[in-house]
Amino acid sequence: MKPFDIVIVGGGGAGLYAAMEAMKTNPGLNIAVLSKIYPNRSHTSAAQGGANAALANKAKDDTVEMHIFDTIKGSDYLADQDAVEVLCSEAPKIIRELDNMGTPWSRMDDKTIAQRPFGGAGRPRCCYCADKTGHTILQTLYEQCLRKGVIFFNEYFALDLSVDGSRSRGLVAMNIKTGKIEAFPAKTVIFATGGYAKMYWNRSSNAAGNTGDGQAITYRAGIPLKDMEFVQFHPTGLRKSGLLVTEGARGEGGYLTNALGERFMKRYAPEKMELGPRDLVSRSLETEILEGRGFDSPAGKYLHLDLRHLGADIIKSRLPQIREMCMYFEGVDPIDDPVPVRPTAHYSMGGIDTDNLGRTVMQGVYAAGECGCVSVHGANRLGGNSLLDILVFGRIAGRAAAEECGKFNPTSIPEGELAEKELELRSFMQPKGHYERYGALREELGHTLGMNVGIFREASKIKQGITDIERLKERFQHVRVFDTGDIYNTNLLQVLELKNMLDLAETVAAGALVREESRGSHTRTDFPTRDDEKWHKHTVYTMEGGHPKIGYKPVTMGRYELQERTY
Amino acid sequence: MSDSTIQHHEESRDVTFRVHRFNPQVDSKPYFDDYTIRLEKGITVLRAINYIKEHVDSSLTFRAFCQAGICGSCAMRINGMSKLACTTQVWDELDKAREPGVIKVEPLRNLPHIKDLVVEMDPLVGKMQKYSNWVDSKMPEEQWGKKEFLVSEEEFLAYDKATDCILCASCVSECTILRAHKEYVSPAVLLKSYRMNVDSRDSIHDQRLAGLVQDHGVWDCTHCYRCQETCVKNIPIMDAIHGIREDAIERRGTKDTSGARHAEAFMEDIEKKGKLVEATLPIRTNGLAWTLKNLLPMAFKMVMKRRTPPPPPLVKASKGIDALRKEFKEMTSHVGKDHEKKSGE
Amino acid sequence: MKRYAYYQSCINESMTKEVDRSIELWQHDLGIEMVKMHESACCGGSNLDYVSPKHFALVNGRNIATAEKQGLDLVVSCNTCLMTIRSAKKKLDESADLRNEINEILRKEGLEYRGTSQVRHLLWVLIDDVGLDVIRKKVKNPLSKLRIAPFYGCHILRPSTVLGKDNPLEPTSLDMLLDALGGKTIPYEHKNRCCGFHTLLVAEEESLNVAAEALQEAMEQKADCIVTPCPLCHTVLDGYQGKALKQNGIKGSIPVLHLSEVVGLALGYSDRQLGIKRHIVTV
Ligand SMILES: Cc1cc2nc3c(=O)[nH]c(=O)nc-3n(C[C@H](O)[C@H](O)[C@H](O)COP(=O)(O)OP(=O)(O)OC[C@H]3O[C@@H](n4cnc5c(N)ncnc54)[C@H](O)[C@@H]3O)c2cc1C
Ligand code: SF4
Ligand code: SF4
Ligand code: FES
Repeated sequence: MKPFDIVIVGGGGAGLYAAMEAMKTNPGLNIAVLSKIYPNRSHTSAAQGGANAALANKAKDDTVEMHIFDTIKGSDYLADQDAVEVLCSEAPKIIRELDNMGTPWSRMDDKTIAQRPFGGAGRPRCCYCADKTGHTILQTLYEQCLRKGVIFFNEYFALDLSVDGSRSRGLVAMNIKTGKIEAFPAKTVIFATGGYAKMYWNRSSNAAGNTGDGQAITYRAGIPLKDMEFVQFHPTGLRKSGLLVTEGARGEGGYLTNALGERFMKRYAPEKMELGPRDLVSRSLETEILEGRGFDSPAGKYLHLDLRHLGADIIKSRLPQIREMCMYFEGVDPIDDPVPVRPTAHYSMGGIDTDNLGRTVMQGVYAAGECGCVSVHGANRLGGNSLLDILVFGRIAGRAAAEECGKFNPTSIPEGELAEKELELRSFMQPKGHYERYGALREELGHTLGMNVGIFREASKIKQGITDIERLKERFQHVRVFDTGDIYNTNLLQVLELKNMLDLAETVAAGALVREESRGSHTRTDFPTRDDEKWHKHTVYTMEGGHPKIGYKPVTMGRYELQERTY
Repeated sequence: MSDSTIQHHEESRDVTFRVHRFNPQVDSKPYFDDYTIRLEKGITVLRAINYIKEHVDSSLTFRAFCQAGICGSCAMRINGMSKLACTTQVWDELDKAREPGVIKVEPLRNLPHIKDLVVEMDPLVGKMQKYSNWVDSKMPEEQWGKKEFLVSEEEFLAYDKATDCILCASCVSECTILRAHKEYVSPAVLLKSYRMNVDSRDSIHDQRLAGLVQDHGVWDCTHCYRCQETCVKNIPIMDAIHGIREDAIERRGTKDTSGARHAEAFMEDIEKKGKLVEATLPIRTNGLAWTLKNLLPMAFKMVMKRRTPPPPPLVKASKGIDALRKEFKEMTSHVGKDHEKKSGE
Repeated sequence: MKRYAYYQSCINESMTKEVDRSIELWQHDLGIEMVKMHESACCGGSNLDYVSPKHFALVNGRNIATAEKQGLDLVVSCNTCLMTIRSAKKKLDESADLRNEINEILRKEGLEYRGTSQVRHLLWVLIDDVGLDVIRKKVKNPLSKLRIAPFYGCHILRPSTVLGKDNPLEPTSLDMLLDALGGKTIPYEHKNRCCGFHTLLVAEEESLNVAAEALQEAMEQKADCIVTPCPLCHTVLDGYQGKALKQNGIKGSIPVLHLSEVVGLALGYSDRQLGIKRHIVTV
């Protein structure tokens, strides 16, 4: 195949924005977008709530400054302040740009883009389209990419980065529809493969494919990961499936109540109540449950999200998707009954370590979106800041790659690499020595992570988690792929995804163990306070001998001094 | 039988999934595999077939991603109807099963088959491209990001519902005309085209419309409403199809397509006779030459059976036609006034 | 004797005269009387609506108002007329403005649309008013020898927001009636599918492919005949049967009967009396 100027791995919000911006920057470039699912199916479509930007349409006194401050404070001061500045000052531009290209934003009476309050934000600055914001943004970007004639390789699964010393030659991927392993020689590669929170499996709001493939591929290729221990739990996952009831429900005025009928948030965030930041609300729910004030059921303990007082009209007009989900997956109509919820793994703050232009340490390799870590979210992401992150940094990475790809000479990917990969994948199909079913391993991984590296963590539990993960990695050697065909072999794909999750789970657990403090989403019951002296720094992971080696990186400070984080 | 046994019986039971299998690499033709598993009430079809894949037969192939009814991956035909596996309750399907306890699961129709429950989506994407299913902004790209368009609630509502579409292709699978001709535009693409055409920020309305009135376009729809009844997001797809037709007649008149002429002929007849003059409908829809060539042989057979519609002078005008004609005129003047009002705004 | 305002569908006045003829034959046997509405106008098919929504409301508001004046429910035996008039009724019932606008015009003719008459299909009247038990008792000549492929047609089912009587994708009413007449209905996937009529003049090839598939399935299932409550479906499935099958390289033929005809047969009338000889495909 002819070498590409840019190969973008991932067709979510980050990948598509990168593609568009790269085309805009230099229409002459040869750009490809690869995605393991059709781009419009990417997990960006699941984001319901909205994207933050200080447009000041709703609260006239809102400013970019305030947005910056909220984000830094929300991150528990682990975000890099220069990156946050980029994020927030680009925000109004990016939202308007989306409007200009056709995103259907909800509107206010004065015809400007509507905004609503969202957790951890001082002003109502979350721009939305009913409760389908991510879906409509993704549709718009996909449509625009089709308009611009972006070349898509749909249903291609990225396997490996082909590396030559300190630089990449391009990507090795599998055409899912044919099973063929193909080379994508490229001057630059942008990873935009989304998050890794699905490793918590049944206690995760994520799609089945949010398995951190990009992070695992780069990590194995020698590129460092950053802040992996920070996994955000969303307070309101549905009890049975882990699926999410968005913050929008609380933004519109929903109550959280316990078995005693109390609005228990008054104990934890008397001022903001239900609209406190996510980590705090999640911990509050978990505490209520641990202290025995939850409801009990065969599917586990839970609390109530009560929307009934909003009335049928508001629920139907502003939260239709949420209502549908409660009915389909939980059998509850929020108009008539409170919704059973508990915290669910939702977002991965950690990811591929990049600079403010999305560049990794390896020349020609970029990352953006949830799979990257700039970092703008630090130890905890604010609701509505992630869509913003993928858009802003997707665009920046796209432009950077378009501008820089001229610097790199095209190289080809050796045939031998493809053949070797083919052999490796085929080996899973050998009956001899292969007897484990991936399904069981996947469930056990989710279980041990939820129990031992979940919301509340402590040394002994995390160590248990690490032992479990190691054992699972050992068992993984014996996983059998029963489908021996080439065409659309989802059996093989799910095994490869499991491998990625196992590698990354090890970094999450290792980071959780070394970080002996509590910060943002990372809560150590044995180290309950933030320890700025020792731990105001990023963790960085490189793979050595198949296991993570941990290093550190300073946090870039700016205008805002460290403060205690209260709401 | 005590209450608790009834309850127990209701809570879990054996369910057989009769799944369409076909792997073109090894199979010469499709067949069905039966998987019987014990399930608890409250489980979705997707979770059930996931269970089969994980524990019984890992080669069973289907698409699934979000498991939450938002990504559109998992559409398949369950008991003969196209729908999302992840939002379909097994117990609901058991009620509909033709053979007790057996749920039939098959791939979508009208799209090329790949393997088991997976079909090719590229043709649909191709049609989205063909019919420019994107907003081509009134604002030049260089100016993007500087200021927002002002969009009223009413303008937003014009396309709001249509943007719910998750491109699951359930409606595509059930479409009558697509089944009869693969080139047909497809309901989802008509819906998206409509959504773009009513967007006040778009600049290529006329061009898109011109494409939609060509062969295999909007006039080929037989308004069977299957797409609308199938839609997994309850989108009134036919409103979009009617909307495009109304728009086409209003802006392009009735000259360019037979479908539009067909529609207009109804109006004429009602005004003149209060009845449809079926005998001349083909001529007015498709022209004389077409009628002679295509319908004459059939007409001959029909005459033999005394079945042809009466020629125009023999169609008795409906009783009270004078009153109707007057009323019709009066309404025409109302409509004229509505138009003036609209363009004056 | 329960009376109904019987709407005269254009097609039943011209191509499918046998429908009204057979209803006239047996209506009194079942204790119902269809009073013909000579002053009604063509409903506009599903076309007038988007040529001019207001004329559409006017014409059908007037049709319903005529029935209302007589204090009778309006009954039709054409699916598309049913769907069309009902959707006009829905629009009128939902919008006072529209109602006022057409009533202003209709008043001059001494008519007013009030929304008091229901708009119903003959099939529904047979099931709901006459009742299946009564029908069962009146049957003289049970259809027990016939394997019947029921063909509902679209517009008696969909859009369900307008029709709302049967399950739009898994209907049962026609099966129930045929069962009461002593017939044996076969499982038949095409029973709720489209006949292709509405694109016949616009995209004939497509339309006939649609029809051919339905015919083929009925033949494969070894049905003796197809029964439909809609004269438009009948026109395609019967009148165009030869062409449709030929175009798709399918051999054979299958008779297609109107609902009103099978009711007549079961009640003891002859095929000549019912006008079945008028069909294109010999029965
Ligand atoms: C339920 C839910 C609600 C949310 N709500 C909000 C919200 O209201 N506001 C907000 O700001 N954020 C929200 N988020 C977070 C936000 O949606 C995500 O962080 C964001 O969409 C991630 O976008 P992305 O482009 O980085 O990745 P994704 O959209 O996940 O896209 C990843 C892409 O990478 C491709 N890919 C992955 N692996 C491979 C591989 N091996 N080979 C080829 N391609 C691959 C996939 O096909 C996909 O196209 C929510 C998240 C969830 C789960
Ligand atoms: S109404 Fe038209 S688009 Fe919809 S299924 Fe029928 S033929 Fe297809
Ligand atoms: S219109 Fe409805 S059924 Fe059709 S693709 Fe869109 S969501 Fe699916
Ligand atoms: S898996 Fe996404 S819609 Fe069903």
